[in-house]
Amino acid sequence: MPLPDYEKKSYKRTRTMHGNWYLASYRYKFNLSRTKVFLKGLAKGHILGLKCRSCNTVSFPPRLICGRCLVKPDQWVRLPETASVSTFSANYDADDKNRERPYPIVAVQQDGTDTVWVHNLTDKFDFHDVYVGMPLKAVWAEERKGIWMDIDHYEPIEDPAIELNKKEEEM
Amino acid sequence: MDKVGIVGYYQVKPGLDIMMSPYEMIFEAVRGALDYADLKRKDLTTVISATNDYYDGKTISNCFKVEAGGAYMKDESKVEMDGAHAAMYGLFRILSGNHKLAMIYGISTPSCYQYESVRVLENDPTFDRPINLLNSYTSGGMQMRAYMKAFGISEEDIAKVAVYNLKNAAKNPLALPEAKKADITIDEVLKSDILSTPLRELMYPMKCDGATAMILAPERQALKITDNPVWIIGVGNVNETYYLGDRDLSVSLSMEMAAGKAYEMAGIKDPKSEIDVAEVFGHTACEDLIIAEAAGLTDKGKGISMVDRGNLNPSGGTMAGYTPCANGLTRIVEAAKQLRNEAEGHQINGAKMAIATGQVGFCAQNNVIYVLERGGN
Repeated sequence: MPLPDYEKKSYKRTRTMHGNWYLASYRYKFNLSRTKVFLKGLAKGHILGLKCRSCNTVSFPPRLICGRCLVKPDQWVRLPETASVSTFSANYDADDKNRERPYPIVAVQQDGTDTVWVHNLTDKFDFHDVYVGMPLKAVWAEERKGIWMDIDHYEPIEDPAIELNKKEEEM
Repeated sequence: MDKVGIVGYYQVKPGLDIMMSPYEMIFEAVRGALDYADLKRKDLTTVISATNDYYDGKTISNCFKVEAGGAYMKDESKVEMDGAHAAMYGLFRILSGNHKLAMIYGISTPSCYQYESVRVLENDPTFDRPINLLNSYTSGGMQMRAYMKAFGISEEDIAKVAVYNLKNAAKNPLALPEAKKADITIDEVLKSDILSTPLRELMYPMKCDGATAMILAPERQALKITDNPVWIIGVGNVNETYYLGDRDLSVSLSMEMAAGKAYEMAGIKDPKSEIDVAEVFGHTACEDLIIAEAAGLTDKGKGISMVDRGNLNPSGGTMAGYTPCANGLTRIVEAAKQLRNEAEGHQINGAKMAIATGQVGFCAQNNVIYVLERGGN
């Protein structure tokens, strides 16, 4: 029973093929298994890092895969709120009166971790005084919701030893 | 050519919408291949991936996959083509003598984007894209018509190939579950929806998420890793013009030339009798035949006889689940499985010599073919 291919039927199901494609329609997939624990920790005021049992590297924010060992790390460690500046940069953006305002971006290494993430520095601080290795402390948002920005910003903490060094240099 | 051995492989079980991120799929494939070959990540010297920036929704898509692919602090590169082309890149690196172990992986996630629409962007932007008539369905339909007209083949014959592939897929544990159709009939295929006449829905493979990884090693290294490696003894790659109108769609000249080169390299004089298994990558059931014929497995227009012989695509081929960017690599891995006697459920007994093909472009513009030989006992 050869069916002639020009036979016209009415179909219930039809296909649509868009002649163009927008990147915004892309459905990105992401495994939340590690992120969820991390965000729940933030809601409770805990800073959690993920430790690879094989090489003892601690990642913060948690990474799904340890590139060195090619395994999925699964050991959570509680981290202190202190951190240090790994590197920094400053941007200038305009305020509401169109005046230039420096806007520091700091790469923060949380104490006890081997990774770095980028965050805001308190805007009360002049970025000219930032230096690599400057000790910082995480400042929590007023209301913790279990999101990345629960850590609102970082602010410098006074380090007596460094103050002393500076004084010695000046002398 | 020096022998290069396939020493390990792993396929992530395909699915229409896998509940895994691409990152994890790559990790599973690469980790699986390393575990299979009993190797460590530090043994790898180079990592080659087959991905596509459009298919991944980000540019330089391999930069995000370094950790998952085992490429951290290693020599790494990407092929924006089929997995079979990535395997060729890895093969060249091994043959250069600079590398001892190459990891090759391909990944596809069509559940994340509209695959057919993205392929429209493959069109030439000056002529074909403004007209917007050419896409993977219409090109497949035109190719099938050209083949049927040239050799007097009927739609039923093509449907027979689709049925054969879908039945084979039912025996393959790593086929897409939705593509496993053990009870399908020719009638059902001929009554399925028309995509673009005469191409019908069941003659066209289902796109699915999946990842495949494979490890290559030079001869001496391969023999240290395993007792029964699969040797790559010949390879050929030919590209023809983009414009469909400039080609004879009923045959594949590029595959014919590529196969000629590969057979000469492998010392094969009569592929019809010497090749035991063929895993070919065709975008449609009809293209499977065109490629098998061009690879010299049968005479022109007699591809349908391969169905009776039963050594074409024992895994179900592309019809067992089409994974863009990983499919060619899956074909090589399936052929290697046959030679290692590791194909569960679809093993062809006593297979010693196999071919596997990969392609990219509308109507198989760029073809690559591998001749594989069983090593060890």
